[in-house]
Amino acid sequence: MKAQTKKNELLYFALRNKKLQVGLTIIFLFLVLGWVGPLLTHNEPFDYVYPLGAIPPSSEYWFGTTFFGQDVFSQFVHGLRATFLVGAIGGGIGTLIGMLVGFTAGYRGGIVDEILNAMTNIVLVIPTLAVLLIIAAYLEVRSILTECIFIGLTSWPWTARAIRAQTFSLRTRDFVDLARMSGMRSLRIVFSEIAPNMMSYLLLVFILQFGGAILNAATLDFIGLGPTNAISLGLMMQYAVLWGALQLGTWWWFIPPGLAITSIVGALYSMNVGLDEVFNPKLREM
Amino acid sequence: MKRLTIIVSVLVALSIMLAACQPAATQPPATEPPATEPIVTEPPVVEPAAPTEFPRGETLYVSGAAWGPASTWNPFQPGSLANTTGTIGYVYEFLFSFDPLTGEFIPWLAESGDWADATTYEVTLRDGLTWSDGQPLTSADVKFTFELGQQYAALWFSPLWRYLTGVEAVDDTHLKFTFTDPLYQEWGNYLYNLPIVPKHLWENRTEEEITTGANEKPIGSGAYLYLSNAEDRNIWERNENWWGIDVFGKPAPKYIVDIRFSSNNVALGSVLKGEVDLSNNFLPGVATLVDKGYVKTYFAGAPYMLSANTAVLFLNNTKKPMDDPAFRRALAFAIDVPSIVNVAYANLVKAASPTGLLPSLSRFDDQAVLAELGYTFDTEKAKAMLAAAGYVDVDGDGFVEAPDGSAIALEVTCPNGWTDWMAAIDIIASSAQAAGINIKSAYPDYGAWNTALQGGTFDMTLNNWAGMSNTPWTLYNLLFRHPIQDQMQSGNFGRYDNQEMFDLVDALAKVPVTDEEAMKAACSAIQELMLTDMPMIPLWYNGLWSQYSTSSWTNWPDENAADPTIPTTWSGYWQMGGLMTLINLKPVTP
Amino acid sequence: MKKYFGRKVVIYLLTFFLAVTIDWMIPRFMPGDPVRNMLARVSVNTNASAIEMMYDYYSHLFGLDLPLWQQYINFWKSLLHGDLGISTYLFPTPVTKVLLRAVPYDVFLLVPSVLLSWYAGNKFGAFAARSKWLDNTMSPLSYILTATPYMWLGILLAWFFGIVLGIFPIAGAYSFSMRPHLSWAFIGSVLHHWFLPFISIFLVEFGGQAIGMRNMIIYELEADYSHYLGALGAPRKLIRDYAFRNAILPQITGLALKLGVIVAGALVTEVVFSYPGIGYLLLAAIQNQDYFLIQGCFLFIIIGVLLANFVIDIIYILIDPRTRRGMTGETA
Repeated sequence: MKAQTKKNELLYFALRNKKLQVGLTIIFLFLVLGWVGPLLTHNEPFDYVYPLGAIPPSSEYWFGTTFFGQDVFSQFVHGLRATFLVGAIGGGIGTLIGMLVGFTAGYRGGIVDEILNAMTNIVLVIPTLAVLLIIAAYLEVRSILTECIFIGLTSWPWTARAIRAQTFSLRTRDFVDLARMSGMRSLRIVFSEIAPNMMSYLLLVFILQFGGAILNAATLDFIGLGPTNAISLGLMMQYAVLWGALQLGTWWWFIPPGLAITSIVGALYSMNVGLDEVFNPKLREM
Repeated sequence: MKRLTIIVSVLVALSIMLAACQPAATQPPATEPPATEPIVTEPPVVEPAAPTEFPRGETLYVSGAAWGPASTWNPFQPGSLANTTGTIGYVYEFLFSFDPLTGEFIPWLAESGDWADATTYEVTLRDGLTWSDGQPLTSADVKFTFELGQQYAALWFSPLWRYLTGVEAVDDTHLKFTFTDPLYQEWGNYLYNLPIVPKHLWENRTEEEITTGANEKPIGSGAYLYLSNAEDRNIWERNENWWGIDVFGKPAPKYIVDIRFSSNNVALGSVLKGEVDLSNNFLPGVATLVDKGYVKTYFAGAPYMLSANTAVLFLNNTKKPMDDPAFRRALAFAIDVPSIVNVAYANLVKAASPTGLLPSLSRFDDQAVLAELGYTFDTEKAKAMLAAAGYVDVDGDGFVEAPDGSAIALEVTCPNGWTDWMAAIDIIASSAQAAGINIKSAYPDYGAWNTALQGGTFDMTLNNWAGMSNTPWTLYNLLFRHPIQDQMQSGNFGRYDNQEMFDLVDALAKVPVTDEEAMKAACSAIQELMLTDMPMIPLWYNGLWSQYSTSSWTNWPDENAADPTIPTTWSGYWQMGGLMTLINLKPVTP
Repeated sequence: MKKYFGRKVVIYLLTFFLAVTIDWMIPRFMPGDPVRNMLARVSVNTNASAIEMMYDYYSHLFGLDLPLWQQYINFWKSLLHGDLGISTYLFPTPVTKVLLRAVPYDVFLLVPSVLLSWYAGNKFGAFAARSKWLDNTMSPLSYILTATPYMWLGILLAWFFGIVLGIFPIAGAYSFSMRPHLSWAFIGSVLHHWFLPFISIFLVEFGGQAIGMRNMIIYELEADYSHYLGALGAPRKLIRDYAFRNAILPQITGLALKLGVIVAGALVTEVVFSYPGIGYLLLAAIQNQDYFLIQGCFLFIIIGVLLANFVIDIIYILIDPRTRRGMTGETA
């Protein structure tokens, strides 16, 4: 009964929160576009549909065509899918590993913490680009999934640090002490006592990881280490830059992918703050 | 927080000083007077202090040759590794220069050079040659340079000594080279590719210094002197005492600033801003740039650029079904080269002759062989040829199977990020699929691609390593490099193993350069066997990417010029007319 | 306490050893061979047997013909002598020289942009957290700035200010018509070329810092002690000062780590603005399997990050007794 009211209360504040509303609406719009967009065009992203080169947006090619005469709209909507995929999987893996390491280090403390901290430091300093090239060599082609996993595996240290700090402050609270005194095993304490109390925090961390993964992927794509067999918004930007889109006046090739990434990630951050206020009653008062 | 502001401003100031003084520290005085003043006929010139600013009207800004900071000024290190275009060509010079547009050798340090008999080559040097430190350049320097190759195997020209038996300096200006069974064609190549170094500065160097030393502050005999370098630029200053001023004329720019851009995109921006006079970057949208009057190119219309090298599709002859000449020939007909030219390059390149020879060597194309064995894009014909050779679609998936019934699934590759090639191999794959051959494109990273290329683990891949040359042998030596080894580092990547062909190429190497009829006959035999067997497929000519601005300098070479030269700063082209381009330039007087 | 520091030092040394070892190994797992990649760029006029001879010569020169374990021992030996080897990508430049030439540009670009954006972002975030109205109007700006893909923003800036308006240069660290010398004109040129790369990093970093600070302050302002102080009638300014002091701690952590990786350079900035620096060289080194340059670069990154971490650890211990207890593993 009490849980029910709490849920309703959350929902009530969630629906009234402007930041959350704006964020969710933008994300939803792009999700829909990524989902139905490919159905609206019969052009494959890499097909040379208009052999004479770049033309501005028109009723036939909504976002115009590239230097090679590829349909920008088709690339854009397929790229959106890749972007959400990278965010979800890359951000998901990053959050998961960060949670595991953070909880363990924070709860156990002592030597375990030291070891995990050293491990975190090592991951922070290994040449991730070189690792990416090694992975690439064994896979021959890089797919979006490779990129997701790679980003997930290299982006967890920050999350681990944050969660470790949170766990530190929780593990000395009374209810944890109580659980420990009742003889609960550490793992269970972490997952039944500490994690639920951090649920809202973990959701926020995931949203940040989601946005971070999208930006990371865009950077990898831009420096030429993106997927080699697919399209993404970052790759669109890379190609647009390589073929001088801005300087040669084909802005419709360069602007949409960057604008979409900015909107999506910005919307995620807005959601993040909005959710923060929903979960944290004190913040609502301000 | 105030303290932070102070710290920040101190740091900013500090780092400015650092950035400002750091390059200055590594930079030598521009022209140090030689320790022992040589006897010069001219009155001693008082060297002005090294300039700190370069006036626009006297400075030529170029880009597209360097991709990293300068690393070496050693003329025996390959130029593409050094990131100092001009070390070979500005500073160090050659016996001859070669004009690929006319096919003529132009005497440079040499006044003349001739085969006295079948195994003796005689060179006469010009009178009054000097090094930039004032010492005379004599036959002793030439002899010394060639003999370095005899001494040190790690120098790229050491194999010359397999058929060169001796160099004799008859007197200060006369040399005699003696050979056994000379490779005449290759020798012609050495004449304009081996830079001559000053004996008096090199004779006391160790093997390591000579083969791998960075040779900072190079002293040569050429038209320009090293002035300075920084992370993103190399600066050269005209040699006012160059021996060649009386012979060839004075190069117009007093200073040359060679800029390293981090991407072609920035190069394009700088061209639009009029800050670069000669860009040898691959720029997109050249047609637009020419139409709007931003740049000029060698040709006013398509293909805009001279052809610089041949893009060849190497087929791995050791893998099925590429081991079957019938399959390889059918593939040649299946590839949509016109689309590569139109779509991938927007008409910036030309389709290649099936012989692979550049337009400047087209006189060696055997038209009769071409008429009989040449190939053109024709999907239907490719299908018919496949069917005739037993390649039919058995399982109905739209792709043919090999005569033994096994499925065919091949991959065509190029390095990731080489966008024009990526577009090109996409077209290769899709046009081959239209003819029923299951080929997909893939873009591995450069290192992996290079490993596969040299190790022979690829299916099919692009390569364009044979550039402009005095002889068709350069291309055929690349295509049919032999013997076949574990690692094929410099040609014949598809491992086409045919002794008959190897003999033909070796025979061509030994035809005297003067005997053009015999060269044609040798080429004809090679071309006939090549087009019958089709071990690799020449597809198109990559351009000599070159865009020039006329805002500060004019009289650039173009198709209408009376005696056009090569407009490029790429390493290896200075002795092929690049320097003459600089001599012909005229400043725009405001 | 002494025992605690002793353990810290041992652990940091172990981490250093492990990290350096991993960084030594990673390039060697990469496909390809640095010497073959280097020779692939050698003139094609060279014939096959000459290349084989050159291959042997250079492999020996770099010590790559030795067994791996021997290479590893040699690596530590020369490292202890301060010798980082010779770059194959920029052959024959010693790695130390490559670093010394390129890193100052990164320091000049990154130190001011990281510090200033940290300072301004935190001020701005704290300011935005003052009231709901300020928060709602100012914070969205930070979201947009920090959500923008950096290269996209950079290229737009370079295009608009450099090409359309033509008021800023788009390449180089100082005018291509100058040689470094001490004059106002030269210093002006340096600053003129520095501004766009600087402001692009500053803007994106600024957004992130402002959001971080805003969130931290709001948490602190809503914490019990703030309410308690408020109830006691303490002035709002005093409460905010307390909140700011507590909120700044995690921000210092972030700053230290950012400063720790400056040696890695700013790859994307260097590419977009054609600004010299180590980031671009490092990418090229990785693509060319330049073992020595990769090792050298990462050695400094490792040192930077570990030092930053060590400093943070010490600051925390000195400032916050709660962390000390947790870190030393004493049970409550």
